[in-house]
Amino acid sequence: MKNKLKQKSVVDFNKFGLLIVLVVIYLLFGILTPIFKPGSNFFQFSRILSALNYAYFIGFLALGVTFVISTGGIDFSIGPVMFASALIAGQCLVYYKLPLWLCLIIACVVGLLFGILNGYMVAYRFLPSFVTSMASMQIAKGLGSVFTRTQSVTWPPRGEPNSWFRNLIKFGSVPTGLILLMVTALICGFFLFRTKPGRYILCLGSNKEAVRLSGVSTKKWEMLAFVICGLLAGVASIFYVGAYATVQPGLGDAFNNEAIAACVMGGTSMAGGKASIFGTFIGALIIALLQEGILALGFSISYQYVLTGLIVLIAVIIDSKKNIKSV
Amino acid sequence: MSDVILTMKNINKQFPGVKALSDVDLEIRAGEVLALMGENGAGKSTLMKILTGIYKRDSGTIIYNGEEIEFSNPKAAQDAGIVIVHQELQMVNHLTVAQNIFVGREFKNGLMIDDQKMNEEAKKLFDLFEIEIDPKENMGNLTVGSQQLCEIAKAISFDAKIIVFDEPTAALTEHEIQHLFNIIRRLRDRGIGMVYISHRMDEIEQITDRVTVLRDGEYVGTIITEESTKDEIINMMVGRTIFEEPKQFSNVPADAETVLEVKNLNQGNRVKDVSFNLKKGEILGFSGLMGAGRTETARVIFGADKKDSGSIILNGKEVEIENPTDAVTLGIGYLSEDRKRFGLMLEKNLYENMSLASLDDFVSNSVINEKLERKIASEHVVSLNIRTPGVSQFVENLSGGNQQKVVVAKWLIANSDILIFDEPTRGIDVGAKQEIYELMNDLVNEGKSIIMISSELTEILRMSDRIVVMCEGRKTGELSIEEATQEKIMHLATKRD
Amino acid sequence: MKKTKNISQNTVVIGVIIALSVLFSIFSPSFRQYSTVVTLFSYMYYILLLAIGVTFPLITGGVDLSTGTGLVCFSIISSYMFNHAGLPLWVAIIAAPIMGIISGAFNGLMIAKYHVPPFIATLSMSMILRGLGSIIPGGLTGVWPSQGSDGDWIRSVLRYQTEDGLIIPIGVIWMIIIIGIMTFVLKHTKVGRYTIGIGSNRTALSLSGVNVLKYQVIVYAISGFFTGLAALAYGWTFTTITPGTGAGFELDAIGGAIIGGVSTTGGKGTIVGAAIGVILISLLKTGLPHVGLQANAQQIITGAILMLAVAVDMIREKNN
Repeated sequence: MKNKLKQKSVVDFNKFGLLIVLVVIYLLFGILTPIFKPGSNFFQFSRILSALNYAYFIGFLALGVTFVISTGGIDFSIGPVMFASALIAGQCLVYYKLPLWLCLIIACVVGLLFGILNGYMVAYRFLPSFVTSMASMQIAKGLGSVFTRTQSVTWPPRGEPNSWFRNLIKFGSVPTGLILLMVTALICGFFLFRTKPGRYILCLGSNKEAVRLSGVSTKKWEMLAFVICGLLAGVASIFYVGAYATVQPGLGDAFNNEAIAACVMGGTSMAGGKASIFGTFIGALIIALLQEGILALGFSISYQYVLTGLIVLIAVIIDSKKNIKSV
Repeated sequence: MSDVILTMKNINKQFPGVKALSDVDLEIRAGEVLALMGENGAGKSTLMKILTGIYKRDSGTIIYNGEEIEFSNPKAAQDAGIVIVHQELQMVNHLTVAQNIFVGREFKNGLMIDDQKMNEEAKKLFDLFEIEIDPKENMGNLTVGSQQLCEIAKAISFDAKIIVFDEPTAALTEHEIQHLFNIIRRLRDRGIGMVYISHRMDEIEQITDRVTVLRDGEYVGTIITEESTKDEIINMMVGRTIFEEPKQFSNVPADAETVLEVKNLNQGNRVKDVSFNLKKGEILGFSGLMGAGRTETARVIFGADKKDSGSIILNGKEVEIENPTDAVTLGIGYLSEDRKRFGLMLEKNLYENMSLASLDDFVSNSVINEKLERKIASEHVVSLNIRTPGVSQFVENLSGGNQQKVVVAKWLIANSDILIFDEPTRGIDVGAKQEIYELMNDLVNEGKSIIMISSELTEILRMSDRIVVMCEGRKTGELSIEEATQEKIMHLATKRD
Repeated sequence: MKKTKNISQNTVVIGVIIALSVLFSIFSPSFRQYSTVVTLFSYMYYILLLAIGVTFPLITGGVDLSTGTGLVCFSIISSYMFNHAGLPLWVAIIAAPIMGIISGAFNGLMIAKYHVPPFIATLSMSMILRGLGSIIPGGLTGVWPSQGSDGDWIRSVLRYQTEDGLIIPIGVIWMIIIIGIMTFVLKHTKVGRYTIGIGSNRTALSLSGVNVLKYQVIVYAISGFFTGLAALAYGWTFTTITPGTGAGFELDAIGGAIIGGVSTTGGKGTIVGAAIGVILISLLKTGLPHVGLQANAQQIITGAILMLAVAVDMIREKNN
């Protein structure tokens, strides 16, 4: 079965091409870095580790939103929901002194609840997903702020008590985060392409009404996609704090775009019905590499914003061109 | 004879994978109604879209008033006086009647749009043809028939020299059709050239002067209406003599059990107090004009829309069908009139489409057994004679007839006993039509029961064992196949309270 | 028939506004002061301008999510022109709406010509503008002339201070004029008519020979233009603008428009309705702190209101 998944991804030239893009970008930054910043070197292992830190949470966000985009919807709340999870769980850990395992569960549950809210509003109340998720983005931001009284929260650093969650990112010299992300991607791929709910989610994106008229309870499955997305945003928060420790309230929406960019770059169609988990995974790596590279060149994060915006635009234009041709 | 105002010569048009038109000729004369006929897919609409600048031709010439022309968009054609009344009405529901008529060429008063003048002009136009519609009414509030009249008024208002009517009567009542014909006669008297696309023979005989026939994208010939018979025209259209003879008698034994009984079904103002029953092995035809409430009735039975009241009795037991899931579980399948919107996932392959209604049967240990899906799909490709390179093919690459068969396969795999075919052969070419008919006969012979909604009277008379006729949401009659005639059906289909 | 419906919705919203005002006044003595009214209006202008602008894309069935960060970006850049690039104040002022028109037209082009879904195109634009708002002025904070400094006349455009210190929110007059003009544009000009037409049935429009692409670009350019005006109103009210902020303003504007009866499914909406919706939102924003609600809880309320407004809109659409 795993072989099958692998086969699919290697055979598909598009996905293979994406890997090449990843390598080319890596080499490009390697060449440019000494030019922009004499004396510095991009080809260091620490750079890769730092990029991976960024790739983990983006990867989890992107995997989640792939499900929603597959149904033809969108979720703009994932970034702020991730932050709300990190803030609320962090506050529980640091301020209310709850046990760590419980806090990690809380983080996931917060994400899950937002997924349920979005899913219910979109599937059962027929709200457009973009407005729904923008609204819940506001709610998530506000909730995070209120819960922490507008204070930032710092999760315990390595070595202190209650810091074993950091082993989820890196255990000794093993990049456990990468392993966990890949395992999650495999599970997502299996779920989306090999099981009934996954099939229904993809079919919804193709033609929701036809699916409904085939006797499928579409609402349930559409909601499920949002719930998975929310849950993975909760999971992403653990990897965010595992890498960066401090979370500020009121932020997080920039990550939406990066996660969505990873999806569309990877070949998931904004029109729905077509998805690639492998593509999303590589897309997340590319996004992480871009952000690491931009910082290495000495540019501010603002350039990352502009670049992500352009990437999404270009990827969507290419995809919609494909669709128009095929019609 | 009257003057030729427009000639199309050797028109060619190629779509990806299909040669839509090859070397087609057409001649339109002033003060004349030219019927353009042909089976679905013969190329009538494509030709008219080329004429009115919606499509570009690949080659060929169009000569209009002695000059060779080329319209790059609909506006250019309109400005030259060539307009089309589309089959699917193109109305902006949120604007008023007058605003719709003059959209794209509003009267202006400085920067401001002169709505008053537009209302006045629209009124004048309506008066001219005795149309009683308030120009200030919102378009969305009008009936389909009235919208059609507005569309025609709009066409006339372009100072048109040529007007194309694409199946204008599909949604009209008998009374409205006569009104339309009066308008067309007046336009003819004013020297306007018209192209009239329709499938209805009696209309062709009533209103047109000449008939041009297309078949499979090719020009077959042009004849004078008065001098030709219905059979001649049909022969030109199909290229061979097919005897679409009506069924003589019902194939259903008198003591056949009733599988479905519908009692006093109501839904909004589209379905009013509809009752009927369906016997095992029967094809029950549903006839009526567009908007008669047939599709709505089917959708309510299938659970696609919620009913207001009424009961559905399946195999002697009253059932509650809340949603399509219930209907499918109970063994009912619905084949929509609009396959692409409601029946198929075009960008999915054959087996994904076929297994959709019964995916549970393909799941073992919560994994979809794709091997089994392919196997079952392949079997149906063979048994239904679906022409496709393979079951992994995207459905959008199949022809209309084969797409319809994919939908049929979906319901066969889901083990449906009652199949509701809504316009089973719409958009399907002649040969494939025959196959669909045979398929439906095979299905009832195997003990399935079929409700067939159709707007084509020949189809109704040929396939049905019994016929239910509806008009404006009500069942206006029921005919056995032995007593049914086109005239009787039409009479019931236009019978209002 | 439809008209009466619209009126009744506006009446309901106005009723809620009055009820809320009364409630706030009863529970909070500080809310009852004249200064609260002044603050309310100050908070309202930029949201109102954004809402008027975004009403056009909304009526076409699209949306513009780039107005929030666009506002901050344009405000910073045009103040930068004045403060650091040595351009005269009037050039800087004109630059804001021009930048808005350009970015809006770009949005429109992406949507109309390249078939990018509106929310994706404008969201990408919102990212790009957020970045440019920092990159172009080199990360500097935007500063508009404050009281007493050169060019401080801009401050009295929206709030005029009389000699005895009374502040008159004369911006209200400008807003009423703008609402009037844009209502006229929507109702009686081609642009307005085609805006409704695109939202209702774009195929019909293009078959009638209307250049839909052009008007779609115009629609987004209008939204951009008003983002530019909002940038000025914002800068002139709050003086300093931090780069990287602004995300979320667009939601207040969209929320206001939807509360005011602009439909997300297209074809329907009025400028006056949008304005009334914005008043409600601004009232909540200024009023809630007076009754003891934390400032950051407002985001939750804004989000909830937005969701509620769309839900009501959906129910209304279904009933039709």
